[in-house]
Amino acid sequence: MEDKLQELVVELLGDGAMEYFIGYRQGFEPSHVVPCFVTDQSEADRLIWGPLCLQNLSKYVLQARDLDGKVGLLVKGCDARAIVELVKQHQIERDRVVVVGVPCEGQVDPRKLEQVLGVPMEQVIDVEDAGDEFLVTVGSEVRKIGKEQVLRDKCFFCKHPASFDYDYTLGEVQPFTIDGDSEEYDAVEKLEGLPLEERRAFWQKQFERCIRCNACREVCYGCYCKECIFDRTAPRWLDRPPLLRENEMYHLIRAVHLAGRCIDCGECERVCPVNIPLGRLYKKLQKDIAELFDYEAGMEYDTVPPLVDFELDDQDPFL
Amino acid sequence: MDRQKISKADLGRWLDTIAGKYELIGPTEDEDIIQFGPVQSSAELTLDYANSLIPPKSLFFPPVESLFAFRKRGKEIQLEETKPLQQDRVIFGIRNCDVGSLSLLDRVFCDDLEDSYYRERRERTTLIALACPTPPRSSCFCTTFGIDPLSPAGSDILLTDVGDVYLVDAVTDKGEKLVALGEDLFVSLTEGEEKELQPPPVDMPQLDVGGLRERLETLWEDEYWDKLSLPCLGCGICTYVCPTCHCFDISDVGSTADGVRYRCWDSCMYNDFALMVSGVNPRPSKRERTRNRYFHKFSTFPSRYGTGYACVGCARCLVHCPGGVEITEVIKDISAKEGVSDR
Repeated sequence: MEDKLQELVVELLGDGAMEYFIGYRQGFEPSHVVPCFVTDQSEADRLIWGPLCLQNLSKYVLQARDLDGKVGLLVKGCDARAIVELVKQHQIERDRVVVVGVPCEGQVDPRKLEQVLGVPMEQVIDVEDAGDEFLVTVGSEVRKIGKEQVLRDKCFFCKHPASFDYDYTLGEVQPFTIDGDSEEYDAVEKLEGLPLEERRAFWQKQFERCIRCNACREVCYGCYCKECIFDRTAPRWLDRPPLLRENEMYHLIRAVHLAGRCIDCGECERVCPVNIPLGRLYKKLQKDIAELFDYEAGMEYDTVPPLVDFELDDQDPFL
Repeated sequence: MDRQKISKADLGRWLDTIAGKYELIGPTEDEDIIQFGPVQSSAELTLDYANSLIPPKSLFFPPVESLFAFRKRGKEIQLEETKPLQQDRVIFGIRNCDVGSLSLLDRVFCDDLEDSYYRERRERTTLIALACPTPPRSSCFCTTFGIDPLSPAGSDILLTDVGDVYLVDAVTDKGEKLVALGEDLFVSLTEGEEKELQPPPVDMPQLDVGGLRERLETLWEDEYWDKLSLPCLGCGICTYVCPTCHCFDISDVGSTADGVRYRCWDSCMYNDFALMVSGVNPRPSKRERTRNRYFHKFSTFPSRYGTGYACVGCARCLVHCPGGVEITEVIKDISAKEGVSDR
């Protein structure tokens, strides 16, 4: 599939169909996969694809808006939903992005893999997809690890990758299925079941260690405001020092701003350097939005996120 | 003091004695994160770690600290000073890259403009460094910047794991004072042991940084920065996990009548870092901000303070950058005579 991707990118760059292409490349060690910006045909051979291509690259489309030409992008089905949202939130025009879809058979959660293997990721030389399992090379040994042990949480609930209008695909894009032993909202419901004080204590323990590096915001496709409320100085909505009460407000404000727009790509949790389980917070929003408005973000171009929508004759007079 | 040894079984007893007289700080693990924090007893420490996520600079220059509290009563203004420390401290388990970073931070906070908060914390802290495990993490490159992971330079005591015992090098008065607390737990090495008990050499990749600064300084307007900054997300991870970054912001929290003046970390990677009241931003895009970061490490800091490079090769930014901007690649790219622009 890598060959096919590289050939396609060479072709598209050669035709002038796009200014650059954003995919994945190997980083400083084999298990470390990072974004790859291909501006020249000669660099296309750096592009890779595999179960460690975790990042949702859609955010990068926003910085390409100023280009004269188009930008190309490799997307997993789950990440394609960000493109749908960006189009309908009027951030990009669909025809300015060349979207290459990739058949994905599940992505590895490095933290889970480290636990199963009992060694740090730096010792992992290769992870190969082999149907129901991953073939993981550690040193000279190849170990077979059942996918259900190490998949990213979201991969157990891969639903709509085929619904997107890809410009190109590297094979048939269809939902990945696997039997997991949990339901989609288990972790959320467990928290919902706790008494208020315990729930608050849980989140306070998480938010207390937030260093306010803003990585969750910067990686989020939906955080595109020209001036973020957190950066405003007049009025100052949030104090700069990373005190617990400010951190709490930071995360809750961000969550509410993403309600109905969060596509559950899981990037906020993945990039958090202090392991705050933000996915659970955003999963709760997703659940509420589904229950209250029967809405799922990133599906169709012609529906409007419920908290962005309004009607002039709304029954609530304050609108 | 001559090199001594302490058995691994006795290390905890010694640290517990220390904890009775000082605030003991060391590596702990919580939520899968290694961090340096205060402990009541040695049992709370972990020894199974490469290094902490947040560097121990945070113990001298905290992510957030109160400088003073203020209160207005009528026309009278009351100021309440914050004491940086309640008691003298011992930091156990610091690695040599981070020890190296403190000597750089000392120049910033203790040279001509003295920062009393930082200085008090430095003076009232004893450092017990722990030589790095062998092999080091594959990402480490401290030797590139002249740091020896097995040297006691910069700390008060160096412990080196050589199997059943730690070798103990107490190299300052502060260090010797701590060893004295352990009394009979420490044994001098015999002549045979001096030769026999040697840590295995540390093998790690070494980057060529000769002429890096001169080369970099010719590249201010180079297109390289456009390309390099493309994957940067503009978050602050690289600066917050960096043991030598030291930018801060000061803000008053509360009201003008009753509040606290805080100092907290700031990041030059943030859009609003260089933004002026006029609305002008001299570093308006990621290109300028990324360029600034590397210029500061490899040109501005050395020229301002007359030191070596302001990087200690801890690799934290390399490992944690979510965009995959890799400082080791930047060093290689800049050092390369040709091909700088076509990455």
